This record gives sequence, C-alpha cells and structure tokens, in this order.
Amino acid sequence: MKKFTYTITDPSGIHARPAGVLVKAIKPFASTCTITKGEKTVDLRKLMQLMGMGIKCGDTVEIKVEGSDEAEAAAYIENFLKENF
Amino acid sequence: MDYRKCAQEIYDLVGQRENLVSAAHCATRLRLVTNDNSKVDMKKLEDVDGVKGVFSSNGQLQIIIGTGAVNKVYEEFLDISGMTAATKADVKAAAAAKQPLPFRMIKALGDVFVPILPAIVAAGLIMGLLEGMTKIWPDMANSGTYQIFHLFSNAAFVFLPILVAVSAARVFGGNIFLGAVIGMIMVHTDLVNAWSVASMIEAGEKIPQASVWFGLYNINLTGYQGHVIPVIIAVWFMCFLEKKLHEKVPEMIDLFVTPLVTVLVTGYLTLTVFGPIFSTLEEWILVAVQWIITIPYGLGAAVAGAIYPLTVVAGVHHMYNTVEARMLSVPKGYNTWMPIASSANFAQGAACFAVALKTKNQKFKTLALPSSLSAFLGITEPAIFGVNLRLVKPLVCGMIGGAVGAAVGSMLGIGATAYGVTGLFGFLTCADFIWQYAIMLAVSFGVSFTLSWFLHRDQTDEGEGEAVAEEPALPEITCEPGKVYAPIKGNVIPSAEIPDETFAAGVLGEGVGIEPEEGVVYAPFDGEISSTTDTKHAVGISSPDGMELLIHVGVNTVAMEGDGFELFCAEGDQVKAGQKLMTFDIDKIKAAGYSTTTAVLVTNSDDYPGLEIKAGACEPLNCVITMKAEEAAEPEKA
Repeated sequence: MKKFTYTITDPSGIHARPAGVLVKAIKPFASTCTITKGEKTVDLRKLMQLMGMGIKCGDTVEIKVEGSDEAEAAAYIENFLKENF
Repeated sequence: MDYRKCAQEIYDLVGQRENLVSAAHCATRLRLVTNDNSKVDMKKLEDVDGVKGVFSSNGQLQIIIGTGAVNKVYEEFLDISGMTAATKADVKAAAAAKQPLPFRMIKALGDVFVPILPAIVAAGLIMGLLEGMTKIWPDMANSGTYQIFHLFSNAAFVFLPILVAVSAARVFGGNIFLGAVIGMIMVHTDLVNAWSVASMIEAGEKIPQASVWFGLYNINLTGYQGHVIPVIIAVWFMCFLEKKLHEKVPEMIDLFVTPLVTVLVTGYLTLTVFGPIFSTLEEWILVAVQWIITIPYGLGAAVAGAIYPLTVVAGVHHMYNTVEARMLSVPKGYNTWMPIASSANFAQGAACFAVALKTKNQKFKTLALPSSLSAFLGITEPAIFGVNLRLVKPLVCGMIGGAVGAAVGSMLGIGATAYGVTGLFGFLTCADFIWQYAIMLAVSFGVSFTLSWFLHRDQTDEGEGEAVAEEPALPEITCEPGKVYAPIKGNVIPSAEIPDETFAAGVLGEGVGIEPEEGVVYAPFDGEISSTTDTKHAVGISSPDGMELLIHVGVNTVAMEGDGFELFCAEGDQVKAGQKLMTFDIDKIKAAGYSTTTAVLVTNSDDYPGLEIKAGACEPLNCVITMKAEEAAEPEKA
C-alpha cells in the first residue's frame, strides 16, 4: 500500500469541476484509491463522495492507494494534486 | 483627460477585439471579460493615463477608472471595439424607454420615492399615532416629550424636498449633493413656511415678496414644505443642465464652473418659474375642489374622494386645512371635507393592504404592510408612492373605493368638529357620527380592498413569486430507473454546448445543460442527496439503482461563495422527485458575470452504454435524460 499527504493550495479547494477531472483521470488504474480528511475517508473514484468531503484550501488530505499498479497510481495522483490543487 | 485615447490604449493592451468577450462598467470600473487573460499586459495597463488600477477577479478584468470618467471611457471603448453594450441595465433601460411617457413618469416618481420610504413611513406612523393620542388626551400636547416627538414626526415631511431632491438626483444621474442644495433652497428657513401661509392670509398678514427677472414680476417668498412634484421637476432640470455642462465645459475649470452655474440657474428658475407655476396650479386645484364639493347628492363628494389621492401625489393636500378651517369658522359649522379625505385615505390603505396580503414577493409585502397601516392612520404617502402609484391598479381601485365611501359619508351627513386627523383616529373628531363614520370607512375599505384583491397580479419578472406559486402544481411522478426528470424549468441543451470546456467535454459525465428560466432546483428523481457544497451552488444525488447525478448551477459560480444560493436539503437526505432542493438568483449570477447554464450530468455515465436526451424547452419534471439500460455493462476500458 502506498500513502502520502497533500495540502490543498487552490483557493477554491476541491470543488466540482476539478474533482471530476481527478476522478476521471484515475479511472484507468486498477488499484483502489481512497482520500482521507480528518476522520472521513471516501473512495477517490466516487465524484459525489469526493465533493461531499468539502475539501477547502489549506486542508491536508491523506491519499491511500492499494493494488497491482499502486506505485504508478500514487505517483500519478500526487502529481495531479500538485498541478491542479 | 482624453477618454478616446485612454479607451484606445486599453483596447490595444487587452489584445483587441479577438481577445474580448464582453464589456460592461460599474460606477468606477471597466469590467472586461477576455478569452485569455494572459494576453493582457497588466503592467502597461496600469500606466495608461486615466487608469487608476487594474486587477483580475473571477475571470473578469477590472480596470479602475473612477466615477464620471468610466462611462465616457466605456462609450469610447465600445465605439473603438465595435462591441455593443449588453449589460442587463442597458437592456432594461432600452425596454423602459419604449414605454409611453405617462408610464415613464410614474416609474420615475416611484424610483425617486422608494429609497426614501423608510423615512416617511417612520414619520407617518409617529405623526398618525401622535395626532390620535392628542385627540384622546388633549393635555398631552403641552408636554415637553410631545413637543420633541412632534419634531420627529414632521421633520421628514417639512424637509421632504431635501429627501426627494437627493433621491431624484440619484435617479436622474446628477450629483446628489447639488440635488440636496436645490432641495434646501426650496425649504430655506428664510422663506415663509408653506404651512404657515394659509394662517397668515387668514390673519391678514402680508406674505413677503421679491421682485424677479429685473422687475418683470413679483414672487411670494414662500417655501415648498411637503412638496414633491416641483422638487422633482427642479432636480430633473438640474441633472439635465449639469450633464450638459459637464460635456461642454473644459475639464480644467469643470469642477467650479459646473456646480456654480448648475445651482445658480436651477435655483433661480425653481423659485421664479417652476415653483410659482406650480403654486398657481395648486390654487386652481383648491378652488376647483371647493367648487366640486358643493355639488349635491353625494356626487361632489364622490368626485372629490376620487381625485383626493392625486392631490396627495401633487403634494397640495396640505392646503386643504384652509378649506377645513373655513368650514369650522362658521358657528356650529361641521368640517365636511374631513370625511371625504378620510374615505379616500382609508381606501388607499385598503388597496395597499390587499396588495400586501396577496403578493408573493416578500420584499413588496414588507413594504406594503406598514404602508397600509400608516394609511389607516391617515398618512398615505408611503402607500401611494411606495405601492399604489407604482402598480397603478391599486391607486385606481383606491380612488373608486374612496369615491363610493365619500358619497356614502356625504349622504349620511357626517361632519367633523376639528381638522388634521383622518382614518381610524377620525372617530375622535366625529363623535356625533360614530356609526355613520364606521359605515363610511367600512364601505371605502370593502370596495377598494375587493377590487384591488381581484385585480392585483404579481408582475411576471418577479420570478421568485411565481416559482412559489407553481410549486404545489408540480405533478407527482413515478420514477423509472435510468430516467432523469428536469430539475429546472428552462431550455435543455446537449451537455457539449454548455459554455465551459470541462462540462462540455464530458469530463464529469454525460448529460444536459439547462438554461434556467426560474431559479428553483427540484429533485430530478427519488433518491439520496450524496453531496452538497458549502458554496451551495451544486448538489449531487444518487438514485436507488445506482445512477449518480450532479446538478451544478451556472458556470464558475463557485466564486460567488454561496451568495444568491439557498439550499433546502442536506447530505444524506432522502428526497422525492419534485422536492425543492435549491433556489438561486438568476439575476445575481448574471450580474456577477457568469453563465447561468446549469449542468445536469450523470457522473457515472461511463457505467451505461449510452444515453438519450431530450433538448428544447422543458417544464420541471419533464423527462430529459434516459440512460440506455443494458444491464451487462461492459468492462471499463483502460
């Protein structure tokens, strides 16, 4: 299992549109991906749940990736977050 | 400063026409929407002569230019770029300009009066209560507290010209402080108070006069306390003159020449021409009214009762005290004017009250209720100017009610023993005719309220009111799996046509866009609210059969941070199709410069083999998306 943390710097946080882009982007990976903020953990593939987290600028989230392509997937997600959020 | 040059330089620095989407301006800033803000040379923009600052916010390039200059730069900018002004206000103004003149005048009168209503509602209520109470306890009039309260009650009326002038200057686009000066000139303490004129003539005193226009004629040095129309005329003229001067006078000397000339010319014309013409008209009205009420069989009273509110609009009703005083000066004379005025006032209050009860527009309701209360106590300005005159119909209903009531009052022979109070407190001065007075008020109330109630319709542009009215009319529907029913009334377009790349590209899923006609979002099927956002502009909902739908109101509206949006559901709520989930303010979104096109997207559309949409106009709960239902979903392509 791979995990890392990231602090959101985008002023709007993870809102609908970029969240959709993220969800779409990780579709090809086989690994399960989850995102945790505080005590709440959701499947990174579920747009509704991700939006429901209400992740704002300055929030620190933890990403966990587990599966056959976890290394690739984790690297991809980390890079994506840095570029977009 | 050279507006043309400034506009030209801005135009060049923002990347000319091909980089421009729209242009608008507010009081101080030029607001541009560009295709690509990175093509804009911000540094150089700041150095342009006339530009005080530049920043980019929410995709809008805002160039601070300053009051007075921004509109001129904007006009030049439109001219250079060949763009057309498309702000909502312009469209509205263009629409308004097409209306016939009387409507425009009534609208102007309303626009002037609405902002100052709180002041006259407060004064009107204090005045009504105070006058009533002194009739019950005459001793009260001698107390110091009464005298202080009395000041509060009539300050807004005595200095009404100043309030009206400031508001009118704002409506007609002039400098509000110059407007205030014109208002102050009209009620200057060196002029004889308009309300003292009648008693001065009665007492045989001479009204001071002044010779004007090089001895051409004399004017009475009287003030315009309580007046409305001459003030508005004067300020309208002032604004016209001021604008012309701003155009003609070189900028260097503009600051002292324009205000100086504006005040001198407007002030002189006001006191020597506008005012006297109006005072003469006033006298004629008084003579006419006194003649009318001598017509027997209640007919004269009916006519007087009908036109009474119009004389309130003109501001001459304060002069009726002269008539009433004369009636009472005869031994055993009754004041028969009072019942006419009372009936007319009560009817206006009733018409306003009917609007207050019937309207679905909360803002209007909160205005109409206290206004009608004030009218029942005899002070009708708030009801007439704030509500009835603006809608016209209630004014006419009130006039009819007033006429019928006045006729009844006249036939029952009602007479008052004093003047100054009307409405409910009128009972105190009609002690000899209690039941007759009650009948008269009931008649004028009944006629006016009934007519107004049945004739009043909320105007169509009050979208909120309509939506509330339609809410119960939504049919109950049985939801079929895989179907999405329209959450919003509007025009359905394919999601590829939503004016936003992300939505259009289907990144968040396939679906439709709706160009909303009403700011209400209904649940598009039975399901569970799976997400909401703090900014209240988007709602996610999942159906029991696993469809996930995102309703995202407007494009980029996350930047509005919830302003104009209201949510009626929370995460985890079970909702039924047609339940109200959210309201949003279409005008606010447009005003903020965003598209109102609402994305309705099936976020897990990849799980389905395809979908069918129904484009075109839709009512809430028309089926707009049908997901193709092949259960064996193909394995996801990598």
